[in-house]
Amino acid sequence: MVNEFILLLSMLVVVFVGLFLGVIYSFLLRKISARLQWRVGPLMSVYSDLRPLLGTTRVLQPLYDVMKLFGKETIVPEVSRRRLFLYSPYISLTFAVLAVLFIPFPGAPLLSSTPYSLILASYLLIGAALFSVLGPVASGSPWAAVGVRREAELFLVSELGFVLSIFSVAIARGSLTIWEIANSPPRPILTAVAGALMLAAMLGKLHIKPFDMPEAEAEIVAGPYTEYSGRLLGTYYLARIFILYGLMALFVSLLLPPLSTSIIWLPAYLVSTLVLVFLLALIQVLNPRYRIGNALIWYVKILIPLSILNIVVLVV
Amino acid sequence: MKFATDPKLLEFVKEICPDGLEYRQLHENRVAVRVRVEDLEGLADLFIKFGARLIHATAIDLEMKGFEILHIYDFSKVRERLVIILEAHTERPEVPSIGKVTWQARWAEREMKELLGIEFVGMPDERHQFLPYEWPEPVEGGAQKGSEFIPMNMPITEAYQTLIPIGPYHPGVIEGQTVYVKVEGEDVVAADIKTGFHHRGIMKLIERRGYGRGVFAAEKICGICSGAHGLAYVTCVENLYESEVPDRALYIRTLLAELNRMQSHLLWIGVVADVIGWKTGFMLTWGLRERVMDIIEAITGNRVNYGVWRVGGVSRDVPQELAERARRAVEGLKEECSELLALVADHPVVKSRLIGVGKLSYEQAFDGGAVGPVARGSNWKMDVRADNPPHAIYDPKLISWEVVTDNGCDSYARTIVRVKELLVSAGIVSQCLEHLSKTTGEIRAKPRSIPVGAEAVGLNEAPRGELAYYIRASDRDENLPQGIRIRTPSYRNNAVLPLMLVGCNLADVPVIMGSIDQCLACTDRVEVIGENYRRSMGWEELVAMSRRASRW
Repeated sequence: MVNEFILLLSMLVVVFVGLFLGVIYSFLLRKISARLQWRVGPLMSVYSDLRPLLGTTRVLQPLYDVMKLFGKETIVPEVSRRRLFLYSPYISLTFAVLAVLFIPFPGAPLLSSTPYSLILASYLLIGAALFSVLGPVASGSPWAAVGVRREAELFLVSELGFVLSIFSVAIARGSLTIWEIANSPPRPILTAVAGALMLAAMLGKLHIKPFDMPEAEAEIVAGPYTEYSGRLLGTYYLARIFILYGLMALFVSLLLPPLSTSIIWLPAYLVSTLVLVFLLALIQVLNPRYRIGNALIWYVKILIPLSILNIVVLVV
Repeated sequence: MKFATDPKLLEFVKEICPDGLEYRQLHENRVAVRVRVEDLEGLADLFIKFGARLIHATAIDLEMKGFEILHIYDFSKVRERLVIILEAHTERPEVPSIGKVTWQARWAEREMKELLGIEFVGMPDERHQFLPYEWPEPVEGGAQKGSEFIPMNMPITEAYQTLIPIGPYHPGVIEGQTVYVKVEGEDVVAADIKTGFHHRGIMKLIERRGYGRGVFAAEKICGICSGAHGLAYVTCVENLYESEVPDRALYIRTLLAELNRMQSHLLWIGVVADVIGWKTGFMLTWGLRERVMDIIEAITGNRVNYGVWRVGGVSRDVPQELAERARRAVEGLKEECSELLALVADHPVVKSRLIGVGKLSYEQAFDGGAVGPVARGSNWKMDVRADNPPHAIYDPKLISWEVVTDNGCDSYARTIVRVKELLVSAGIVSQCLEHLSKTTGEIRAKPRSIPVGAEAVGLNEAPRGELAYYIRASDRDENLPQGIRIRTPSYRNNAVLPLMLVGCNLADVPVIMGSIDQCLACTDRVEVIGENYRRSMGWEELVAMSRRASRW
């Protein structure tokens, strides 16, 4: 009874911690890329006397964006399939939050010790991405249609790369339970190879340039989210924050084994995720946007064969 | 410097155009030929086969006396700096169309029909140029639903599924224009462009201001190429009379025109980087552009509309020490430009986005009448600075420079042309500054009265291509022109845009639209530069200053 209560409590806490860390990660993505581009990034106005104390950086800007959207009017287009359009943001958010619960946080194993938790977590992450495609399909806008087509094509190849890289780790460790993998001894070569492949697959999942063509604002306005506004858009943003946190946590628990087991590893955990975010921001800054054709070629001809090769080497 | 006229020109013109009614030699190798209205079509056919290029077709309203149709041809490939103006007087506003002969005249004729009410017989494209297509009632061939008009003869259901309107307001294209693209999946199968959201009647505004003050209105036509407009205007007015401009003024004009080209090209490279989703490239090139703007500001006191162009010279000298300082700044800038732009142009993802996109072959560019970097990117060696220079120093004996061309015929070729041109411009700028830092002299000739009934053509190579001004002086008034006609480079390049769009991917549409170059709005900021102080002024302070200045 006590154990169950502790589990419930830790789940509740980790959802909020995940939200907070997700906000910090997306803030850093914005701030680092802004500073690398000679821009200032998220700012707030502070009295000049308080500036030495507070600075002018608004760390919680992504959260404020979501809160602002929750206070705005939500418009539902007349031509949309109403039910799918209205419900899919919430389903996407639910999937993302559930996925977070299957991934361990330092000091909180949560549900990751359940058998096959790796499959469950990757399935839930895919589900969250899937519903961020299905809602826009129902919106009936040509911009969304083009964006969804790109998103779906990218989704197919990047998910394949992601799943292949995850399961290469599972095969090497001989387990499909995240908690067991997180407790196994470190293997640097596996971490380097599978980590690089997983990072490359994550670019497509997180829409980091050069793979942000589903939301190419110069061509298709906001892509899939063109018709979304107010609370529904805010929900999608929230789901994205959770997906970002979930992917970071999954990366650390699978590839940097002892870091997500105990609370004493928390500083190392934070540092490694921040390094990951920095890498993502660097790739984001260095690249223009690919055409969808180029992106598919890149994934199908380079990443997926490499991932398959990785698995073959591990099995043999 | 006086601007020479070839005395044997009239005989040559009489040879190639024998059935004219009256031949008049104008200043600077321009020849006006009066012809009959019926001959216009045949002559157009003949001239184009002869290797001429139609600069613009337009008309002047002579009030009680009817209209005068003007076809301005550029013969510079045949004879040095020759421009022939065909004039046909008509009292009935009905003339044969030359849109069948050359695609280049189609937009011009649509414009004339709209602005002057002239009907063209056998016009291939009768849609409105500036008014909405459906005004006053839907045009034949377009489907109608309520008051909505759907272009390209599509049924409404099909249009809702496949027609994507890019504009009038769209994040990819800052200017107000609509490009209708019909897509199948992501492939563009048909395209159409509608412009005319910006027509401000500025030609009429210049006409009513007189020759001297017109230059300030002319500069405000475009915020990015304001320098090019000023130079083309003063060139045109100076061609109305026997003009002489001091050498130092010509050097200052060249300097400003090339600085203008540098900042415009840097801006353009940034816009294309932004369109292909590369904010870093955008910030990088716009950072370089700020430094060019600072040099312009130090020289003229303004950033956008320089306000130094005057008929017969310039209003503001460049002191020797300022020229020396600016020269050093330009040298440093040139090095950084060549390094950073090589990075931008060689980036593998940039290449994959630009190579093979927006193909425009040499024949298409020639028939469609593309100008500027678009034409030069299609391997057409055509530059007004070399063929028919404006009143500035572009003499290869005095300044070493070259026309840049590329045979890629795609968006990447146009990018390369602009990047190389930027470096060529920087070279011209440093040569001009070197000359200015060593010499002194007059910067403005005395104004002269303009003879009645004179007419002139002024050409200039704006950053976007050939810019043409035509001015007809009034028959009775020495101060006001009868008519001013302007043909901007984007006018031509926009007309060939649908040719490039068909067959491309939807992701490439903004890139192709960007590759012919756009104009952006201006900034409203002024900086006061004195001997020992430097401060910026905000909007409130400026308003207060203007109030003080206008108080009696």
